[in-house]
Amino acid sequence: MHAVPQLAVSTLLLGGIYALIAVGLTLIFGVMRVVNFAHGEFLMLAMYLAFWSFALLGLDPYVTLVLALPVIFAGGWLSYRLVMGPVIQASHNVQIFTTVGLSIALQNLALVLWTADAQFIRTPYYAVVVRLGGAAFNLAQAVAFLVAVLATAALFAFLRWSYTGKVMRATAQDRQAASLMGIDTGRVYSLTWAVGVTCVGVAGVLLAPVYPVYPTAGLQFVLIAYVAVVLGGLGDMAGAVIASLIVATVEVVGSYVIGTAWKEVLYLLLFIAILLVRPAGLFGQRGAENIGV
Amino acid sequence: MRHAKWPVKTLVAVVGVVALALGAGALGQAQQGLSGEYKIGVLEPLTGNLAAEGKRHLEGMEIMRDLINERFGGVMGKKLTFVVGDAVDPTVAASEATRLATQGAVKIIAGTFSSTLCGAASEAAARQGVIYWETSCVDPRLTKRGLKNIYRTEIDGTGFGWYNIEFIAKHLAHRLGKKPNELRIAYLSEDSSYGQSVTETARQRAKQEFGMQETGVEYYTFTTNDLTSVILKLKSQNPDILHHIARNQDAILFWRQAREQNFQVKAVVHAGATGYGSPDFGKAFGADGNGPFALLEPGAGFLIDKMRPEGQRIERAYREAVKAKTGNDIAGGHQLAGGGLWVLKLVLDAAKTDDPDKFRAAVLGLDLPTGSALNGWGVKFDENGQNSNPRVQHYMLQWQNGQMVTVWPEEFTSERGKWIPLGPWDQRK
Repeated sequence: MHAVPQLAVSTLLLGGIYALIAVGLTLIFGVMRVVNFAHGEFLMLAMYLAFWSFALLGLDPYVTLVLALPVIFAGGWLSYRLVMGPVIQASHNVQIFTTVGLSIALQNLALVLWTADAQFIRTPYYAVVVRLGGAAFNLAQAVAFLVAVLATAALFAFLRWSYTGKVMRATAQDRQAASLMGIDTGRVYSLTWAVGVTCVGVAGVLLAPVYPVYPTAGLQFVLIAYVAVVLGGLGDMAGAVIASLIVATVEVVGSYVIGTAWKEVLYLLLFIAILLVRPAGLFGQRGAENIGV
Repeated sequence: MRHAKWPVKTLVAVVGVVALALGAGALGQAQQGLSGEYKIGVLEPLTGNLAAEGKRHLEGMEIMRDLINERFGGVMGKKLTFVVGDAVDPTVAASEATRLATQGAVKIIAGTFSSTLCGAASEAAARQGVIYWETSCVDPRLTKRGLKNIYRTEIDGTGFGWYNIEFIAKHLAHRLGKKPNELRIAYLSEDSSYGQSVTETARQRAKQEFGMQETGVEYYTFTTNDLTSVILKLKSQNPDILHHIARNQDAILFWRQAREQNFQVKAVVHAGATGYGSPDFGKAFGADGNGPFALLEPGAGFLIDKMRPEGQRIERAYREAVKAKTGNDIAGGHQLAGGGLWVLKLVLDAAKTDDPDKFRAAVLGLDLPTGSALNGWGVKFDENGQNSNPRVQHYMLQWQNGQMVTVWPEEFTSERGKWIPLGPWDQRK
C-alpha cells in the first residue's frame, strides 16, 4: 500500500503529458480528418527550440515557452500552407504519405543539423525533487503536468466558447454546410493545424528539461498518443484525455503489479479489447468521422 | 651590414624549399607505399533511435581507417576505403547489406554495433556470399547459426556477464565487507538480445559459481518514458548491487528517477558502450552521475605500458587520432569499432586476399596474446568465428566527475574505484 501514492502521482504526471500530445493530434483529426504522422517530429522540434534557446541565449525553457508560442504557432501555420494545404483535398492515402514524408524529412533534417547525439538542458533546478504525501517527483515534470492541464483546459474553453472555436467545431461537423454558411474552411484548416502543432509544441518545450533531446525523441511519446486518440475515440477531445490517463495507469500500475516487460502488452491488449467492444473507441460514436469534435 | 641580410634570407628560403621538398617527398613515399584501393562496406545505424551510437562507431572506423592508411600501410598494401550503409532497423539493415554486396561490390561488410541489427545484416551478407565482420554487437546467437563467413572481434554477451560477476565477486564484495554469497543482487535490463544475454549469463554465474542471492529480475523496453514503478519494486527488494543493462536514454531516465525516489543501492554495474557506458550519461549528469560502473574498453587512468609493445603502438596512435579528430577523449564506441577494424587489417594483411576460404584460414590462424591489439585485446578465433572471450580483455570503468575512469583490474590502472558503497545521493561528489 505504501506504493499507492507514488504510483498515483507517477500516473498523473505521465498521463498529463500524454494528454497534451494527444489532444493536438485528435483536434487535427477531428476537424480535418487527417492523421498527422509528423506529430512526434513537431514535438522534437519544440524540444530543440527549448534546448537551443537555453544553450545559445541562456533562456529558461519556461521563458522560451512564453516567448516561442507565436513562433510555434507560425511554424504550424507555415507547415500547413507549404505541405498539408496542397493535399487537403486529396485522398487519405496521399495525406498519409504526405505526413509520413514530412515526419521522415523533419527527423533527418534534425539529424543533419544537430547530429544524433542527445542534448540536455540542465537548469539550476533540474535536480529539485518535490516530496508530497509519500510521493516524490521532479519539479520540472510537475510544472510540465500543471501547464499541460492548463493548456488542455484552455483549448477546451477555446473550442467551447470562442467564436473561432465554434467555427472549428462547425467545420468539423459538416464541412459543406459550414462552407455554405460563409466559413472559409481553408483558413479553419490552417488554424486547426497550427493549434494542433502548438499543443504538441507546448508539450515539447515542457518535456525538454525532463527528457534528453535527440532527433527521434518524439517517437516514444507519439506512439502512445496515437493509442490514446484511437482508444478515446477519434476526434473526441475528452476521450483523448481520459484515454491518455488510462494508458498511463496501465503503464505505471501494470508494470508495478505484473511486470515491466508486460507494459506494452498490457495497454495494447486493453486497446484491442476496448476496440472489440466499442469499435469507435471509448467515447467515440460510430461514424465519428462524420461528427467530429 | 646591408649586404649581410641577403644571405640570411636566401638561406631561409633555401631551407624552406628543401623542407617542402623533403615533406612532399615523404608524403609521396607514404602514398607510393599504397598501390590501389581496397573497399569494404560499413553498415551502422546512422538514423533512428540507435543513431547516436551508430555514428560514434562509424567515426571510430573512419579514424582507424585513416590511421591504417597514413601510418600502417593500408590493407594488403592498398588504401582502405569505405562504402557506408545506414542500418536504421533490422529490415533496412538486411536490405542495405544486400545493396553493399551487390551495387557496392564489396566482399566484406563490417558493422553494425547493435545486437538488434547484426543478426539480420549478417544473414543478408551470408546470402550474398560476402564476409560479415562484426565489431561490436554482443548477441551470442550471431556466431552460433552455422554461417561460415561471419566473424566477431568483440566479446559476446556471455563474456560481458562473466566479467561483470567476476568484478562483483572478486572486487566489490570485499570492498563492501561481504562474501560473494552474502551479496544480494537485483537484475534490471532492457529487453533486447543484448540485455538478455548479458543478464542471463550474469544471473547463472552469480548463482551457480558464487551463490549470490538474487532479489529479482526485470526487463523493459528501452524507449520507456517512466521507470518509477520499477524503482519502487527495487526498493522493496533492497538489493546490495543493481546489475543494470541499459541503452542510452533509459540509463539517464533511471538514474534521474532513482535519485527522485531516493533509491539507495551499494553499487550499480553495467556492461557495454551504451547506457552507463555512453558519453551521453556523463553529458546528462556531470558530477551528479558519479558512481555507476560500466564494463568497457580502457578509459582514463589505463596504463598503456602494461600492454605488449605492438599493442602500445596502436593504442597510443589511435587515442591521439581520436582526440585530434573529435577534440574529446576516446569513447567506448570508437574503441569497439576501431579495435575491430584493426583486427580486420591484421587478417587481410595475413591472408593477402578476400577469398572467403583463404580469409577464413587467416582468421583461424591469427593467434595474438592479450595486450597485442587495440584496447588490450588479443586474437584467437574459434571455428564459429567468435574471437575468444578471454582474449578480449575488458575493464571496469566508473563515472567520476563527468569522466569514465578505468578502475579494474587494478594492475592495469593508476585510478581506484570510489564511492563503494555508494553514499546518499548528495554525498557522491
